[in-house]
Amino acid sequence: MLLSSQYAALGVLLIAPTVLVFCAVIVYPLVSAIYLSLFSIYTPTLQGKWVGLDNYAKLLASGEFWGALRVTLVWTIGTLVLQLVFGIALALLLHQNLVFRSLARGLILFPYFVSTVVAVLVWRWLFNDLYGILNHVLLAAGLIDMPLDWLGQMPNAMVSLILVGAWKYFPFVVITVLARLQTIPDHLYEAAEMDGAGPVARFFDVTLPQLRDVLLVVILLRAIWDFKEFDLIWLMTGGGPVTSTQTLPLLVYRSAFGLNEMGGASAVAVLMMLVMLVFMALYIRAQRQE
Amino acid sequence: MRNRSLTSRILLNVLAWSIVFVIAFPLVWMILTSVKPQFELFRIPPTILPQEVTFEHYHRVLVETPFLKYFRNSVILAVGTTVLVIVIATLGAHSLVRFSYPGRERLAQLVLFTYLLPSVVLIIPLYLLMVWLGIANTLFSLMLAYTTFALPFALWLLRSFMQGIPQDLEAAALVDGASRMEAFVDVILPQAVPGIISTALFTFILAWNEYLYALVLVNTDEARPLTTGVMNMLITAFNIEWSLLMAASVMMSLPVIIVFALLQKHLTRGFGAGGVKG
Amino acid sequence: MAEVTFDKVRKAFGSAVAVRELDLAIRSGEFVSLLGPSGCGKTTTLRMLAGLETPTSGAISIDGTVVNELAPAKRDIAMVFQSYALYPHMSVAQNIAYPLKKRGVSRADRDVRVAAVAATLQLGALLDRKPRQLSGGQQQRVALGRALVRDPRVFLLDEPLSNLDAKLRAHMRAELIELHRRIGKTMVYVTHDQLEAMTMSDRIAVMHDGVLQQFGTPKEVYETPANLFVASFIGSPGMNLVKGELRAAGSGLAFVRGDLSLPVANGGTAGAAVTLGVRPEDITLGAGPFACTIRVVEPTGHETIVMAEAAGETLVARAAPDSQLVPGQVVPFAVRAQRLHAFDADGRRLPLVFAQSNGA
Repeated sequence: MLLSSQYAALGVLLIAPTVLVFCAVIVYPLVSAIYLSLFSIYTPTLQGKWVGLDNYAKLLASGEFWGALRVTLVWTIGTLVLQLVFGIALALLLHQNLVFRSLARGLILFPYFVSTVVAVLVWRWLFNDLYGILNHVLLAAGLIDMPLDWLGQMPNAMVSLILVGAWKYFPFVVITVLARLQTIPDHLYEAAEMDGAGPVARFFDVTLPQLRDVLLVVILLRAIWDFKEFDLIWLMTGGGPVTSTQTLPLLVYRSAFGLNEMGGASAVAVLMMLVMLVFMALYIRAQRQE
Repeated sequence: MRNRSLTSRILLNVLAWSIVFVIAFPLVWMILTSVKPQFELFRIPPTILPQEVTFEHYHRVLVETPFLKYFRNSVILAVGTTVLVIVIATLGAHSLVRFSYPGRERLAQLVLFTYLLPSVVLIIPLYLLMVWLGIANTLFSLMLAYTTFALPFALWLLRSFMQGIPQDLEAAALVDGASRMEAFVDVILPQAVPGIISTALFTFILAWNEYLYALVLVNTDEARPLTTGVMNMLITAFNIEWSLLMAASVMMSLPVIIVFALLQKHLTRGFGAGGVKG
Repeated sequence: MAEVTFDKVRKAFGSAVAVRELDLAIRSGEFVSLLGPSGCGKTTTLRMLAGLETPTSGAISIDGTVVNELAPAKRDIAMVFQSYALYPHMSVAQNIAYPLKKRGVSRADRDVRVAAVAATLQLGALLDRKPRQLSGGQQQRVALGRALVRDPRVFLLDEPLSNLDAKLRAHMRAELIELHRRIGKTMVYVTHDQLEAMTMSDRIAVMHDGVLQQFGTPKEVYETPANLFVASFIGSPGMNLVKGELRAAGSGLAFVRGDLSLPVANGGTAGAAVTLGVRPEDITLGAGPFACTIRVVEPTGHETIVMAEAAGETLVARAAPDSQLVPGQVVPFAVRAQRLHAFDADGRRLPLVFAQSNGA
């Protein structure tokens, strides 16, 4: 056998386990999800009947799908903007000469690594209407004169979600931006300073353009991940009050395992993926350009 | 760094550290709550520091709840997933980086695509698959499900690590008399060890923290990991015992803290490669 | 001892052709340099010989056996990489012993041979160090040691000196010449540095854009460059090239460019476009039939490089270090007719013989 074919065969052999697992747990389920979305399936018995595109027609005609899409967008944009603002600000701050800088970095990253379950438990305790420290502090400071219901009413529930989401995920922005900041050569700042640029001008004229590429990647990645977030929202509010914080992933879960309508749930999942494909394609393109 | 006056440096530090404190506060509060006696939680006004430190909640979590069983499940699950994924991904990443065959580029893109794929899309077919295979409600079924996000992640991260190993090293080994597999074992693998370790640690954290698959695929305490297990303690309790939950949360976070400490050095690299998903 | 032959070897990466129909016969024990600018295909050629790339077509043989489909391990070659490619996790001793280990040499034998190689390269004291604890020069020696330890048929060296500083490079050049003289093995040496190629090689293969331009001794390549590329690539400062044409002059022909006219003694046809090549050392300033205006004078210590203008061309000439030239000065000059080069419109060497013009 030719040397190059031998090598190619070895390469294929090495990737074979990956391909096998991919086919079994990703490709097959993915195709299957599209297929299932054409059926009406009752979850407990798994009995299904072919309904064609009915599930999609019903969804697109229902307020529930559009409502969930709107909630998802509000949540994604809200939390993403906060993550970016806090993330970039903190990255700039941490880039300075701080005492115990690595400790500060470690503490800031921790929310990101801690399990969502832990994060939610802690925040639900902080948000507790009677004994939660947040209400106590705000009452004592005179900012509110009645304990707030953080999760049980709108728009509080969405605001709380967005805040907790920002708290949990902004470290990703911090660390990626910080890594990029550290590679901006000092002489750029020195040159700008000599040209008479003040701190604000230096940020907009030197720092921000240098961060452009990394910010694009960060925004795309975080947008994708926030869009598909399930754990945090499900555990914080369960989609409530009623369905006012029910995002698309929650709608999928609830249709499949709450309303026992697996076909309809698959249709939601497929539609949700179609929306995400736009971001995914953009991200994959950005990666290829690197 | 350019020279700054002492006052502005002090101001900067105070500002930065106050923000850090606010961010870390929920976690500090978690620890403080976990060592307060139950009655102290309901004081008005609340106490900040515990007036009396107690570890009774930890004791109760360990003795009176299935916490240890969940913990054991989580360890098996996270370690099992990590080992499975790292073995497959190391071979796969090496193949993607050093070999050429038709379809390789497409495959690399597929990896990136699957890495971004939402779990909820896969969960219904996976649930049906596990039921059909008769392995629903087992740790093994969860391990398989976890590979759906852990494998693309590990492949992508390892690929970037392995791209950093100079091509010439493998070439030198080949000229020195090694076959391609020998060159992989003798030269590439030792160079990839730091990358493999940090990828393994990241993968461990991902598996340790996973919630959705555990929620859908397992409904027995025998196979329930900590995430769904601890959440169950919240939902099933007649009245919520926050100090108990905080104690459980602290213990549940310990492995993550340890892994996190080990990772400090490689953190940026992992993130840079589009690391740890959220 | 080993002969190496390239027979119509071609290498393409997709649509980009790196090496085109290369024919090259390297004699046993010869030191051959592959010389050319980056991207000329010299490294690809070496990597094909090593077995790290497979030729798209053609045949590479070592000692008469075609090795195209032979894995690098089975070719009995050793290679020194530009990056040295030392195994970072192995000590110096382990690095040098690795090729022996892969060939099943016993531990005791390995130790003896590593010690011997370490002694010749003065690495004895460094055997337990890791590569990152070594200086660039020391790493270079280890890379050389790893190649030497095995006694291969052919040595391949890929720009081994390019990462060293100038002084060390000169020193290692002398050492490599000495090494080749001592072991007498076939060596193929890739470089973009003409000084290395000129000083070390038995023969030089000059490559450009994947095409072999000329294969000859350093003297041949310098004195009778086969084409314009070789003429301009070899030599520093480079050869002066003056475009002109052949015209009838008196009974014969002359190369004419502006008011510059050089009689041709033999060869050539009237009306042909010709590029004349003159090496800087073949221009004598101070006396002669032509005149030029001095523009720039660069004393380097052991000689002075002069840029002068004549017939609308800038000419570079070497002058004695004590010459008293100043910019703006108009001086007469002569060229050495028997050392002139001529190339046709396609850049190929023309067999023109110039006559010494009067006054020189």
